[in-house]
Amino acid sequence: MRIEPEQMWSYFEWLFYHYGLLQGVLVAVALAALGFIACYLISMARYGPGEGFYHVTRVIYELLARDLPRTSMRRIYALGRLAFQEAIRRRVLVVMAVFIVGVLFAGWFLDPSSDNVARLYISFVMTGTSYLVLLLGLFLSCFSLPADIKSKTIQTITTKPVRCTEIVIGRILGFTAVGTLLLAGMAFLSYQFVSRGINHEHEVKDMASDGMSGTTSYDAKHQHQFELIENEDGSMGGTTDEQKGHRHEVVVRDVDGQRVVTLGKPEGLLGARIPVFGSLQITDRSGNVGSGLNVGYESEYQKYIEGNSLMSAIWTFDGVYPGRFGGGDSLPLELSLKAFRTYKGDIVTGVQGEIILKNPDGRVESERRGFVVKEFAVDHIEIPRKISGSRDGQPVEVDIFDDLVSEDGQLQVVVRCKDNGQYFGMAQPDLYLRAGDSTFGWNMFKGFLGIWMQMVLVICLGVMFSTFLSGPVAMVATMTCLMLGFFGNLALDVATGDLPGGGPIESLIRMPLQTGAMVDLDLGNEVLETVIKGADQGIMYTLVSVFQAIPRFGQFNTADFVAYGFNISGGLVARHLTMTLAYFLLTSLIAYFFLKTRELAAA
Amino acid sequence: MSASTVAEAENKASPATASDVVIETRNLGKIYRDFWGRKKVAALKALDIEVLKGEIFGLLGPNGSGKSTTIKLIQGLLFPTSGRAFVFGKDARDVTKNERIGYLPEESYLYKFLNAEETLDFYGRLFDMPAELRRERSEQLIKMVGLQHARRRQLKEYSKGMTRRIGLAQALINEPDLLILDEPTTGMDPIGSREMKDLIVRLRDEGKTILMCSHQLADVQDVCDRVAILHQGELRELGRVDSLLKVRDVTEVHTTQLSDATKAKIADLIRAEGGKVISMDNPTTTMEELFLDIVQDDRPGQRPSSKPAT
Ligand SMILES: Nc1ncnc2c1ncn2[C@@H]1O[C@H](COP(=O)(O)OP(=O)(O)OP(=O)(O)O)[C@@H](O)[C@H]1O
Ligand SMILES: [Mg+2]
Repeated sequence: MRIEPEQMWSYFEWLFYHYGLLQGVLVAVALAALGFIACYLISMARYGPGEGFYHVTRVIYELLARDLPRTSMRRIYALGRLAFQEAIRRRVLVVMAVFIVGVLFAGWFLDPSSDNVARLYISFVMTGTSYLVLLLGLFLSCFSLPADIKSKTIQTITTKPVRCTEIVIGRILGFTAVGTLLLAGMAFLSYQFVSRGINHEHEVKDMASDGMSGTTSYDAKHQHQFELIENEDGSMGGTTDEQKGHRHEVVVRDVDGQRVVTLGKPEGLLGARIPVFGSLQITDRSGNVGSGLNVGYESEYQKYIEGNSLMSAIWTFDGVYPGRFGGGDSLPLELSLKAFRTYKGDIVTGVQGEIILKNPDGRVESERRGFVVKEFAVDHIEIPRKISGSRDGQPVEVDIFDDLVSEDGQLQVVVRCKDNGQYFGMAQPDLYLRAGDSTFGWNMFKGFLGIWMQMVLVICLGVMFSTFLSGPVAMVATMTCLMLGFFGNLALDVATGDLPGGGPIESLIRMPLQTGAMVDLDLGNEVLETVIKGADQGIMYTLVSVFQAIPRFGQFNTADFVAYGFNISGGLVARHLTMTLAYFLLTSLIAYFFLKTRELAAA
Repeated sequence: MSASTVAEAENKASPATASDVVIETRNLGKIYRDFWGRKKVAALKALDIEVLKGEIFGLLGPNGSGKSTTIKLIQGLLFPTSGRAFVFGKDARDVTKNERIGYLPEESYLYKFLNAEETLDFYGRLFDMPAELRRERSEQLIKMVGLQHARRRQLKEYSKGMTRRIGLAQALINEPDLLILDEPTTGMDPIGSREMKDLIVRLRDEGKTILMCSHQLADVQDVCDRVAILHQGELRELGRVDSLLKVRDVTEVHTTQLSDATKAKIADLIRAEGGKVISMDNPTTTMEELFLDIVQDDRPGQRPSSKPAT
């Protein structure tokens, strides 16, 4: 799984520091201006310049002075309820049946011998749910209003004291309610499916002759080894080894003088670890701040550091207080680095690295702690609070929270690769402090909330488009937004020119000429080239602004967090909720204008 | 133009006439255009009418003469291409006027998946009526339109007349001051249409204003106080029903027990005064004759629309 840097921002960081607020306001203002100009042009064509201006200002005035203040909750409720009833009568509950059937047969094609069954199951149910719910939202929202206009039932509505705001908001809320109902059902079934799907039991198969270790039976395509330890109070207990991402507790009881060994439920499969992410800095071979190496992969996501050199990766964490880490008896740290080998090396022990904790003031640091990189898995390292280290070069025992963490709660973690000629690859989220766990159920709920927000966005867009387009066209328009929203990054890369090969016109010329994307365009005519590039800039600038206004649906998809057992932070959820609300307001506004200026009986 | 001047312009535009003008149209015209803005039909041309408080005003005309168009313009469902319409002194596109209007569309455009009770409850909510009042009103109205036996059935199972009845009940849910009825008696059985007409007259007697359109001439003649006759989007005739139907150069005398001798004497007297006796007994024109007279006269502008004969 890949966590994007922006997913690590806290809510206020996003809102103020990363211009989330500004961006939202800009998008709104740009759309409003565009809308105003479009409306003005239309009504100018219809009524002439002066009269046209009067008409447009009148609609704005009506919204602010009349329709908004007189919008009534009872009417919104009535219209929302009608939309809800309409959807139910259109038998949307069939979607639920499809989901249930899908889940029932899922067992046939989901491979239970997979390395991480939980991840597979979670991804399956969440992807399935989101497709179903998004399709549902699409169909419900795009066809309802056009159908009402066509059957003229809208005329009986608009001849009542109903404001256009109420028609729009009522519809959005009604369909959202239907979607929420279905989604809630699916979420509940998903949770059951996942927690039952991964649940399995083992029995003790063999015990060693000393009765202190053994193996379990072969169930759910795996088996465990275990050892028993004697606790301080004389009782026996232990846990099995880890297989496929989980362990079982081993319980020893006395029943009628007989020793009975049983195994508990699988543990560690469904988690929601709460990571504390830091910022990453990489130093170059001479130990100065640098940018890391590229070992030849196309993706620049991971940066590499060279083994046995001064290159190191330094993470700086904020807010490192004992309270966040279960009292602070130790500092749990998790990392998943990539290893890039230039020679085979010792395949049994793997590539070796070391971790040093440092106070940002540079005076106190811990001893080096070696580790062997665990590729394709998360390595959990628990560093005890009191460790040996050095202050101003003098060896002393240091306390992590008292000595290594600075006054303002900062801590640095330095990672180096020890093996000459081997490389470590890392991205910012690859090393984090683990601040305990959230519960899986709650995390899954937040994951479904992400799907819910995507659904709300689709409904908002669908209702908006359906105020001025016919049903099928509105659906195509919404689908287009959905696609652009999911693959928005690619579209943005093309539009901003981050992808090599130039803008649309330039690429069109390059294609028949078969020039490589990396060489500069050469037509032998500088003026022509400048004109083409200028035109491309214009087109791309427009495209960027358009893409910016489309919600990034992909960003709302937090299913991976759930599947990979990362807690979805409250900040992320709050941010997505804010964006959803903003889009709701924006689309409602646009829908209002279209509805208000539309002759509903002329269709 | 700032928002406040827009508002002022609007206030100034509203007619300053006496409060008993409920509907006023000024030079109201509608041209239907196609997608490209090309002119398709001039459905209504320069209509000037006033509907006064407490009267039953009938819009009469053959199919496609612009009756429904007029009604939709008055309700703001269509935007006029020329002129303006005012209801209760407010512009036709002002939503607040709807609080005092009940509207029965051409066909009852209702949600087929609701039953009678749900329908009335729904439209009641749109008037922001509290639950208690909604229940009370819908109870009353269902009884009034005679749908007690079908109150729990979905509207898609309703017959045409039943749909019409629930449509009427829906129009009355807010106890409107102005009732706009687009062909109220179509699809009704004779008893239903009689009841409908009685109801219209009763509502008028309660002080409500009714605007209805119809081509059921007998209905119009029965209930309307004043009528406007439209033909091809033009106003052809406007006036009180009784004076429109009066043939002015013909005198009608009704008496009893008149002997033949007396009749002859009267005839002589009329002849002596230079008059000519056509007949002594039969009443003259009917609404149907008047209507056919106007409508068959296809030369536009031949019959100038007369002013209200009140
Ligand atoms: N939505 C529309 N688009 C184009 N033309 C229309 C539209 N609605 C009505 N018309 C035209 O406008 C004219 C007047 O129609 P209108 O519905 O007002 O007639 P009407 O008097 O109500 O007739 P009827 O007695 O049949 O109900 C007709 O020629 C009709 O074809
Ligand atoms: Mg009609």
